[in-house]
Amino acid sequence: MKDISKLPDEDIVNLVRGKDKELFSLIIKRYQEKLLRYADYLIGDEHKAADVVQESFIKAYINLNGFDVKKKFSSWMYRIVHNAAIDAVNKNKKQIPLSEKTDFDSGVNLEDELIKKELKINAQLCLQQIPVIYREPLTLYFLEEKTYEEIGDILRMPMGTVGTRINRAKILMKKICQKTKK
Amino acid sequence: MSKNKKVTLAKTKKVDFEREIMGKIASGQITMKPRWYFILGSLMMILGLISSTVIATFLINLTAFVLRKKGFGYGKLDMVLANFPIWIPIVAVLGIGLGIFFLRKYDFSYRKNFLVIVIGFIISLIIAGLAIDKLGLNDVWSQRGGMRRFYQNLEGRENLPEGFERMGSQSGRWSRGLPGAK
Repeated sequence: MKDISKLPDEDIVNLVRGKDKELFSLIIKRYQEKLLRYADYLIGDEHKAADVVQESFIKAYINLNGFDVKKKFSSWMYRIVHNAAIDAVNKNKKQIPLSEKTDFDSGVNLEDELIKKELKINAQLCLQQIPVIYREPLTLYFLEEKTYEEIGDILRMPMGTVGTRINRAKILMKKICQKTKK
Repeated sequence: MSKNKKVTLAKTKKVDFEREIMGKIASGQITMKPRWYFILGSLMMILGLISSTVIATFLINLTAFVLRKKGFGYGKLDMVLANFPIWIPIVAVLGIGLGIFFLRKYDFSYRKNFLVIVIGFIISLIIAGLAIDKLGLNDVWSQRGGMRRFYQNLEGRENLPEGFERMGSQSGRWSRGLPGAK
């Protein structure tokens, strides 16, 4: 069991698909906190986020044979949570959508460290005010520390779009966080 | 929301997720979909894309053929519309739409600019359809083979009411009661 716990996700998935269904608990252990945090940032309600994560684990288990083990399991898992969270957000209609056409000067160079600090101190408050299309990549990049490629896989968008949205999100975040402080 | 509260919640859910989900798995309440289900899904998707592409190409080619045979003729638009098998371009457009739907399901589609993929797909279908007509395959198929009757129907050589001639000429219908006819 000790060795198995060190295996990469994809190998564990293979074992679960084979016969060792109990090993799915390892997947749950590895991801529950990360996914709960991610869903909470997207939904802004920890109870609903918990429901979303539970539902996502169940969906993942049911569709485990559809996962391509050549790809990254974490991106697949986050994608499931993302879909469920967006459904929950749409149901609640809490967020005010901002037009995708809203443009910002993406040439502005912001210090990532500053953003990280801002996020950690006042993250929930600031994040909830950012439209979900910017909240998603920002959360994944800064809080979940995913690469642009992984974010692209999770959100199903080209890497260029990921970069643009993160830049816009940074600017929005900075503006909103500064306002919140005042 | 305080940070501590969140940690507590995460810890509580950690236990709950594992127990609840693994309990459901052990009791057989949730089961994995079999592998063949996903293989069948992929096959259906490939077949769907191929068949919608073939159908759209063929019908675009057929539209070009019918237009060539019946002509646009200046001042004869109402005649063209009256006798043109309008279902052909409609089904062709539906085929293109279906093809785009299937393309969207493929993993590569979100990595690239999907608009470019869609435009490329439509242009390729139109070029292929027109090329088939230019190569004279329609003329061959309308002379012999299993499609001969179908082509002749399209051209208006068969099954026309008495006195009803080919479009483009002084047809029976035209001379039998339409405004201005004697």
